Amino acid sequence: MDPIIVAVEDAGGAYGVILPAPGELLWGAVAFTIVFVILSKLAFPALGRVLDDRAAAIQGKMEEADAKLVEAEEARRSYEASVADARGEANRIIEDAKVTAEQLRADILTRAEAEATSMLERAQADISAERDRALQELRTQVGALSVELASRIVERELDTATHQTLVDEYIQQLSSQN
Amino acid sequence: MSILAVQAEPGEFPEIRLDDLFEFPAILFDGTVFAFNRMGLLYLLAAGITIALMLGAFLNAKVVPGRFQSAMEAIVELIRNNIVLEVIGPKGLRYVPLLGSMFLFILVGNLFGITPFINMPANGRMAMPAFLAIVTWTVFIAAGIRAHGLRYFKNALIPSGVPLPILFLLVPIELVSTFVVRPLTLAVRLFANMMAGHILLAVAFLATNAFLIDVNAGFTDAHFFVNGALSVMGILTLLGSVALIGFELLVSVLQAYIFTILTAVYIASSVEEAH
Repeated sequence: MDPIIVAVEDAGGAYGVILPAPGELLWGAVAFTIVFVILSKLAFPALGRVLDDRAAAIQGKMEEADAKLVEAEEARRSYEASVADARGEANRIIEDAKVTAEQLRADILTRAEAEATSMLERAQADISAERDRALQELRTQVGALSVELASRIVERELDTATHQTLVDEYIQQLSSQN
Repeated sequence: MSILAVQAEPGEFPEIRLDDLFEFPAILFDGTVFAFNRMGLLYLLAAGITIALMLGAFLNAKVVPGRFQSAMEAIVELIRNNIVLEVIGPKGLRYVPLLGSMFLFILVGNLFGITPFINMPANGRMAMPAFLAIVTWTVFIAAGIRAHGLRYFKNALIPSGVPLPILFLLVPIELVSTFVVRPLTLAVRLFANMMAGHILLAVAFLATNAFLIDVNAGFTDAHFFVNGALSVMGILTLLGSVALIGFELLVSVLQAYIFTILTAVYIASSVEEAH
């Protein structure tokens, strides 16, 4: 018989501890095989799936956040643009108002000047007409007076037409002398 | 009077025999290769707990994990990132289920050594470490053949750039160290650590029992000082056994980690390019 086998059987203790017992080896193999099969078929794939899901969720959240950021940036830009627009509009309105006011002022001024000028002209025309009329009247009266005076002085009867001619000549003479 | 299976006369330190600690009569199928004893029960229990932990954590896994799922994820991530990716690299990711199963199964089995009412590490017997070492041995050879074909054996045995005469010396050394010593040391390291821890705990517990309970069972005034001194010893061994339980916790995790990382190292050395 093999001496080692004999020793194992005799010593029991020491060799029994060192060498694996066949039954234990078998049940150990069964136990670990069950563990490995179940874990590699169920647990690890499940874990892999959840890790993938998590990665996808995180990725999704990050993309969402990025999109939100872009959106917010866009909103800010459009807001700023609208503020700038409004500011420009306000400036334009003010400019318009200034221009309008300036035009209005110029118009009013021009109109006032024109009116003043026309009033002046009308007044001068009036004055001139009044003067002409007065002069005419004066001539007439002076003529009549002169005729009466002269007829009284010279006591000579002259017809009215001759009188008038004489007086006109006289006044013409006076005017040219003046 | 002793509460332990290991009997001793009052006042005497019990004789601890390996048979008492490591002899497990079959419960079922006695005398056949299917002999099912306490260790078989522990293996199945360890398998059940390992499976329950993993399925409980991941079968209804949430995208936003709870505490338990987070803790289990941390363990798997330790295997994945600190062992597989670091040692083998991305091409080793297919070994994560195997190494993860190994780590958890070994860890649960080791922790049985300090689990109340079980008090026997599943890996404190040669069978389980031996089987796991055979698995490692098979996997690293298969990984090598998968990566390099039969050239794997040439790569493993014949280092390049070595002069021919040296090869006569080197090839047998490589052969023995790679294909014999690796699985043997792997199995013995785990088994011996757990067995030694089990013996240490047994000695500490038995000593506490002997010094505090057995000695004082026959207490008389005549033995006052002797009994007092022995009782102080008993308190020290009691404190020592508490410390040892903490130490065994550390050893349990460490040995599971070492077994797993060495398996990864062996797989890495098989799949890496010829050196």
